[in-house]
Amino acid sequence: MDDKGKELLELLGVSKTFHVRAGGRRARLSAVDAVSLSVRQGRTLGIVGESGCGKSTLARVIVGLHLTDDGEMIFDGKQVLTHRRRSTDEFKQMQMVFQDPSSALNPRATISESIGFPLQVQGASKAAIDERVATVMSDVGLPASYASRYPHQLSGGQRQRVNIARALALQPKLVVLDEAVSALDKSIQAQVLNLLTDLQEEYGLTYVFISHDLNVVRYISDDVAVMYLGQVVERGSAQELYDNPKHPYTQLLLSSVPTLDPTESTRDEPIDDSSTKDSEIPSPIDPPSGCRFRTRCPFAMDICAELAPAQIHLGEGRSVACHLYSESEVQAVPA
Amino acid sequence: MTQVPVLLDKNFGAGTTAADRAEADRRRDEWNAARTSEQSRSFWSATFRRFLSNRVGVVAAVIVLLLVLGAIFAPWITSADPLLGKPTERLQNLGASGHLLGTDEQGRDMLARVLYGGRLSLLAGFVPTLGAALIGTTIGVTAGILRGVVGTALMRTMDMLYAFPAILLAIAVGASLGPGLTNTIIAVTIVFIPPVARVAESATRRVVVQEFVEAARLSGAGRLRVARSQVLPNVLNDVIVYASSLVGVAMIIAASLSFLGLGSAPPAPEWGYMLNSLRGMVSVAPLVAIVPGFFIFLTSVAFNLASDALREAMDSRL
Amino acid sequence: MLRVAITRIGMAVPILFGVSIIVFLLMNVLPGSAEAGLVSDDMSAAERQAIRDELGLNDPMPLRYLHWLGDALQGDLGYSAQRRRDVSDLLIQAWSNTAVLAIVSAVFGISIGLWLGYLAGTRRGSLIDRVTGVLSLSGLSIPSFFLAIILLAVFAGGLRILPSGGATLDQGLWMAIRSLVLPVLSGSLITMAITARVTRASIVDVAGSDFVETLRAKGLSEFEVRRHILRNAISPVLTTSGVQIGALLGGSVLVETIFRWPGMGLLVFTAISARDLLVVQGATLVIAVTFVLVNLVVDLLQAWIDPRVRGAVS
Repeated sequence: MDDKGKELLELLGVSKTFHVRAGGRRARLSAVDAVSLSVRQGRTLGIVGESGCGKSTLARVIVGLHLTDDGEMIFDGKQVLTHRRRSTDEFKQMQMVFQDPSSALNPRATISESIGFPLQVQGASKAAIDERVATVMSDVGLPASYASRYPHQLSGGQRQRVNIARALALQPKLVVLDEAVSALDKSIQAQVLNLLTDLQEEYGLTYVFISHDLNVVRYISDDVAVMYLGQVVERGSAQELYDNPKHPYTQLLLSSVPTLDPTESTRDEPIDDSSTKDSEIPSPIDPPSGCRFRTRCPFAMDICAELAPAQIHLGEGRSVACHLYSESEVQAVPA
Repeated sequence: MTQVPVLLDKNFGAGTTAADRAEADRRRDEWNAARTSEQSRSFWSATFRRFLSNRVGVVAAVIVLLLVLGAIFAPWITSADPLLGKPTERLQNLGASGHLLGTDEQGRDMLARVLYGGRLSLLAGFVPTLGAALIGTTIGVTAGILRGVVGTALMRTMDMLYAFPAILLAIAVGASLGPGLTNTIIAVTIVFIPPVARVAESATRRVVVQEFVEAARLSGAGRLRVARSQVLPNVLNDVIVYASSLVGVAMIIAASLSFLGLGSAPPAPEWGYMLNSLRGMVSVAPLVAIVPGFFIFLTSVAFNLASDALREAMDSRL
Repeated sequence: MLRVAITRIGMAVPILFGVSIIVFLLMNVLPGSAEAGLVSDDMSAAERQAIRDELGLNDPMPLRYLHWLGDALQGDLGYSAQRRRDVSDLLIQAWSNTAVLAIVSAVFGISIGLWLGYLAGTRRGSLIDRVTGVLSLSGLSIPSFFLAIILLAVFAGGLRILPSGGATLDQGLWMAIRSLVLPVLSGSLITMAITARVTRASIVDVAGSDFVETLRAKGLSEFEVRRHILRNAISPVLTTSGVQIGALLGGSVLVETIFRWPGMGLLVFTAISARDLLVVQGATLVIAVTFVLVNLVVDLLQAWIDPRVRGAVS
């Protein structure tokens, strides 16, 4: 909590490919492609993108559920070996809150068993486990009486609190939240987001918050990264990104968000999405050559099909991967 | 960190004055206290309660219980010898003095033979089912978790056994091993392992992709531990429901083997064997001749109904 | 679709091999079982050895298996000294007898089962539903040999209107039907029960789905709605029917034994009792292969009817 602002997690060129069968043939699914990110201690990095952009895979790569094919990860100044399975100790530092409150909890285990399981695996004594479970349950606002209940006896919001409690059981420094509020009703979302921010402040947690809901990401994030088809297309602080999006995909996303403010409506002046462009997301199995967004980009140029754009740094933590900015006013600095 | 505006005040809806908020606190504590006293039911007690509400199932379970008790306490229920009879008393009808269910073609008391035979039939029903459940679940869960080459090899082997019609396989194995109750039990176990393995494997594949299994791996647990603590309890549901429906079938297969002379050797009072030996007497003493068959039928009905009720009681859970 | 067919057929081949291995192992694993039907206790050791040599029983197991398999693939399943006929001849005759019984039982059992299951499924909670339920339960719980005995006692013993056994298939249609009635009734009851149950469950399942509600909302008559329900509910019924047919083709040993029906089941049973090993091996092999092939056909039919089964990108 003293060195807030220093980088806690850094991803450098991380890639993950899956081998699948598509139509009877073997194919390579490029889920995460050369992703570079960083998260500062005590802050929240929001990762936003549509279905299939690889954000869930990235989440699992960060916490160690998937092994990487390429790239490096540096956590708290030390290198994390991502090509092999993590040790029990290494797992302690980063934990995850899953999306679906129902399937994220073992229906045959009580709440305290679910929360205490990570501690059990780490070899803690029964007394230590009970104490920690009680602490963390009160942290997330669950009455102690719930400890012997089963998931089906709890509401969606309460189950999600249990998920959060389980993620905090091992006292991690970083928590990845993969669509953690997407399955909840709006008013419950608000409560859970409140809870998350409270916990962050109390324990100095660092969050990676993944969502397709732009409003929620804007609310909770300090910095934001936008993903498309496995790549990071734009990064920056939440404020800058939402006020001044540079990448055409970011602009498309933001213009698609319905707002309650009539003055912000873009309905009458939509972004030029001419009918000759695809309006469907291409498959990650055979992504478009060069820039992956070019099939939907209203500003696509010839070079976009030949060369994949590099990350152009536009200042403090701000970068965009787009050929529009190659010869821009800002100096293009190689990554 | 930028100060994030709080979306919903903690005291939202609790009123504006301190008195109002105190009242809201009191109501909340009361509500929580009420919830605390609500007994949280474990999975099994809830299932049990639901089973009890199914009248047909309860009746069936009681019948099963009576049959089991009758078989266990046979020596106390009747003093007649199931293996030795007086030829002068052969083929007496139901209700004859001293022979509630009559006597067979060698003068042996039918009631005694039925009760002692019940031991054999119930053993031949339960033991293979349990054995197949244990072995089949192990195979199925292993195949479902490991997948890949090992999983495929295991399941293909199961398919090969599954390619035989059940009775035929039982007969073939039984004939190969020889007569006797133990060999019958082994044969039926082998017949049941593939279907149980299939059920277990398919349930495992369903469970393994759920997020809580991933979450368990996140704690650093190895695959074996995850399998034992997370996957297995959830697979057991499906297996138990399926296995309970097999008990009646096991009994019938065992009785079929005895009927054909491949099971328990005479003079063991196995119901199937009895049915065969009394077959010729069906014109002379029809009611006595069908007694063993009737008991096979009754036990099988009771097991089927009970297992149906069990399935309903367990289903509404997940 | 073609790809699916090739995959399924491809998967069936190793299973068929495995089946042949299992059959061979079962019959040959115990020492002394192979030549049991051909030697008698008063033969000298040398004589026994001679017989073993002649039958090739002193060769190593894998070699014997390959010999047997090689011959079998050419249609030669050995010669039964006891019956003085080629095993293949015996099997062909027996198989056709079993096939007649199996097909009639299957048609009878499945069609009635379908009809009852349909009635029960579309009229849930009604009298017909409950009666069907009771009938199905009884059909599942009653051993076929018990039913056979009762039917025999009543119709052949008491009323004497039907024969007590034997297959008179070559003396005209009426005689054939007479000899078929009781065996078919005994053997098809369980098929009827299982089919009725599965049909009912499947219809109840489909009838409760959203798309059926949509059909009603569109104004289709109840009759047309039921047609749609049936078309979609048929899939699981097809699977179980296939299994039933396969089992029936396996020849119910019990029904055939009781009615002295000269089919595969009776053949296997008598051969086991007489320790006529080659017959048992050949018959078991044929039965199992039939079962696998029937299931394969059912699988392919299902893939053809139901596009979902054909598989998607994994």
